[in-house]
Amino acid sequence: MVNDNYQILTILIFLPLAAIVPVMLLRGREGLCKWLACSVSSIELALAGWLFCLAPVLPSASVPPPGYFIRQDFPWIERFGIRYSLGADGISVLLVLLTAFIMCIAVLISRKAVTKHVAAYHALLLAITGGVMGVFLSLDLFLFYLFWEVMLIPMLLLIGIWGRGKPVYSALKFFVYTMAGSLLMLLAIIGVYLIHGNQTGHYTFSLLELLGTTIDQSAALWLFGAFLLAFAIKVPLFPLHTWMPDAYADAPPAGSLILAALLAKTGAYGLIRFAYPLFPTAAALLSPVIFALAAAGILYGSWVAYAQHDMKRLVAYSSFGHMGFIVLGIAAWTPLSLSGSVLQMVNHGITTGGLFVLLGMLEERADTTAIDAFGGLWGSIPNFSAFFLLFALASAGLPGLNNFVGEFLLLAGVFRVSPWMAVLAFAGIVPVLIYLLRMVQKVIFTQARTPLGLRDVSLREGLVLSACAILIVALGVYPVPLLDLVRAPVQLISGGPGGLP
Amino acid sequence: MADVWAFMPLLIIAFGILSVLLMGAFVPGRSGTVAGMVASLGSAFWALQEPPQTAAPPLGIAFTPFSRFFIVLFSLTAAIVLLLSHDYNKRRGIGGEEYPAAILFATFGMVVLATATNFLNLFLGLEGLTFAFYILTAIDRNCSGSGEAGLKYLLQGAASAAFVAFGIALLYAGVGTLEIQAAMNAVMAGGGNVPIAWGGWGFLLIGLAFKVSLVPAHLWTPDVYQGAPTPVVAFLSTGSKAAGLVALVLLLTALGSGSEMTRMPLWWLSLLSMVLGNLAALRQRNLNRMLAYSSIAQMGYVTLALVTGTREGFSAVILYAVIYTAMNLTAFGAIASLSGEKRMDEINEYRGLGFSRPFQGGMLALAMFSLAGIPPTAGFMGKFAIFAAALGGGETVLAVLGIVTAVVSVYYYLRIVATLYMQAPEGEEASGGASFPEVAALCAAAFVILLLGVYPGPLMDVIDAILG
Repeated sequence: MVNDNYQILTILIFLPLAAIVPVMLLRGREGLCKWLACSVSSIELALAGWLFCLAPVLPSASVPPPGYFIRQDFPWIERFGIRYSLGADGISVLLVLLTAFIMCIAVLISRKAVTKHVAAYHALLLAITGGVMGVFLSLDLFLFYLFWEVMLIPMLLLIGIWGRGKPVYSALKFFVYTMAGSLLMLLAIIGVYLIHGNQTGHYTFSLLELLGTTIDQSAALWLFGAFLLAFAIKVPLFPLHTWMPDAYADAPPAGSLILAALLAKTGAYGLIRFAYPLFPTAAALLSPVIFALAAAGILYGSWVAYAQHDMKRLVAYSSFGHMGFIVLGIAAWTPLSLSGSVLQMVNHGITTGGLFVLLGMLEERADTTAIDAFGGLWGSIPNFSAFFLLFALASAGLPGLNNFVGEFLLLAGVFRVSPWMAVLAFAGIVPVLIYLLRMVQKVIFTQARTPLGLRDVSLREGLVLSACAILIVALGVYPVPLLDLVRAPVQLISGGPGGLP
Repeated sequence: MADVWAFMPLLIIAFGILSVLLMGAFVPGRSGTVAGMVASLGSAFWALQEPPQTAAPPLGIAFTPFSRFFIVLFSLTAAIVLLLSHDYNKRRGIGGEEYPAAILFATFGMVVLATATNFLNLFLGLEGLTFAFYILTAIDRNCSGSGEAGLKYLLQGAASAAFVAFGIALLYAGVGTLEIQAAMNAVMAGGGNVPIAWGGWGFLLIGLAFKVSLVPAHLWTPDVYQGAPTPVVAFLSTGSKAAGLVALVLLLTALGSGSEMTRMPLWWLSLLSMVLGNLAALRQRNLNRMLAYSSIAQMGYVTLALVTGTREGFSAVILYAVIYTAMNLTAFGAIASLSGEKRMDEINEYRGLGFSRPFQGGMLALAMFSLAGIPPTAGFMGKFAIFAAALGGGETVLAVLGIVTAVVSVYYYLRIVATLYMQAPEGEEASGGASFPEVAALCAAAFVILLLGVYPGPLMDVIDAILG
């Protein structure tokens, strides 16, 4: 079988998991734990960057499946035909890079914010890194499900132990919601496996082999429904979002960052990689429903975001609305809209992630994120305010910044399939602008309400924020490398020429 | 000689019981644990070897690969329970040689059951192990709950013994033989008085449902789990349950598959156990009671695989029996290790223990994750095998209903994790590490949970081989 020499995919997944052991052993020495987690996540970022730069030009020892750069594959549990099968195509590489970047930020912003059980906290961050990497790289449905669940446990503990507000309630709600979808998806995975096995006599969980399975209409609808439910809860898609504001708002800063920037993406990634390709006919049949839910989410998210008094909840709902755009692009299932969606997944990760980082810093300083508590920050902490303004504008889709490019491509793609949906979604951009600018105006520009005595961003924080800001501008001006990377896989998945028109 | 060679596991345990009791007369103290460990480990190692061919299965006992597999499982379980009991009993003031002797006697019953090829031996094994548990349940004289639990278990156990005995009698009346395989073949072929034989099968099933605590024969479970000493509960919920499953697998494989007469009762037992077990567990405040209802639900999942009557189903049942044993040994072992002179009963008492007593708290959390079926623990692998077998056997409706109840179960298992790690302890910080035997026992069980969670392949091959 295909067995490349490149162990990089395995290293990406298991290096952080292996690093948990020394972190837990050194739990008495907190400084060392922080440095260890920091260096491991930097190595991850370097590896992901290396993959990003070199993957397209790497010589391959054997021929990987079309669209993939690297593949690693060997049997694992042979009785069930389960293989340890990893693969990276353009979409995976992009999301792996995003994961490594976000986890680096998550470790960096936690240096001061976390004071209790420091070692356990960093061990959990590393566990999430491994799990999310695994989700983005698995090409075996069983393996994918395993990582899908593995990333949940550390998230549950992260919210529950280091959260604020009602952390236990939010953590359990998040977990039970997600498990409900996942377990039904597990049944659907077994269902596909059995249908394929009965047809061909070859029982396997390998995605590439299962793709060709012919499934009769009614069975396909149920199976697709189960996959859709699991991914829609994770995205979250309207009306399955009720766990989201609680979890986003009560999680510690790094937790909100990971939830919004990474875990939401795993849901969208699952739709692109598994749900749609496995059941194309059922997906086509149900796509009007998904269109409607995504559009409803965009409008509902904006509407509710406008009514929020807490910035974390406001950004949570705004993130929910933005994810609606991404799902809309997936539901249109054209090369153009898919490219836009994948690009937007990265952009959304950076901008919304950046906003959550800023709110985390604010929370660290003032112990609140209520809009009413702040005002006139431009005068007291100008650097912070400048970043805040930039990220908010990017999030609102200002041309020249990254979100605009993704949303434009995506809506152009949707327009060809369903013009009315595109118009409705365009209309959804306006309220985003309104509530974001209203928040910025109240927090940064009005008169200072109470002298809070906040200090401006430190060097470490400035570094993190600048990295985000540079990416926001760079991707807004020159997104071509990313688009080149996703063109081939998007073409293969959707069966048409992709990229820019 | 070949017969004696094959019988050695039984003889070693029997000799162990005698020597434990005799040693009590000469060297009073706590040497019973060591002697019991030696006996149970010795029998496990002996059973690992291939026995020589014997002429005919003597005395209705056969040392097939199937039975040797379970001799190893039961003996190792007994060894771990003895390790867990050693310091628990010291703290709770449970003394005497009768404790390790009764543990070994229960093991003896389980081993007899696993080797039975004849209904009388099946009955003797089943009642032998239950008899030992009557004693073990009530052995904590300092705790009024223990005696109460013992009485409840005795009354309901006697009723179930009557059901089993009557069922065997009816089967004998119907088909005229006590050999399990011959009797079941006759039932399926329609020889003899078939309605009476099916009636006998029904009674037998009710009796066995009591042993593995399937709804509606589950009523004893919460009370006994609440009152009995915790290491005893660990043994009761693993060894005794696995023995009941062995009996069911022996009978159902002999019966062959595809009969609606065997399918429908099991279908309803499975559904009721999954639904009622999980819903009732939601409302418990006592951890042992919650785990009792959880074990009812877990047995419902196992029955879901039994319903299919396929080879995959039986192999999933055996796999889950092993995994379930490891999970419950870890859970009750951690509870036993946490309990000091006072028992840890209420879930609220576990607040913050994940940080103040990290080893036991971590073990309890691991067991909860595994029972909830979350990867990479063995509980997930077991549930996966069960649901794959159920869907493969065409039980889609029951599988979907089962998965929905599994979502409910995730909540109450994680509530324990949340209590351990996310709530501040009330009052003074509890502390105290685990003793060496407890650490050894818990690490062994936890190792099995993690190993089977990521690499179950070899065990699955073994199970495949023993099903013949």
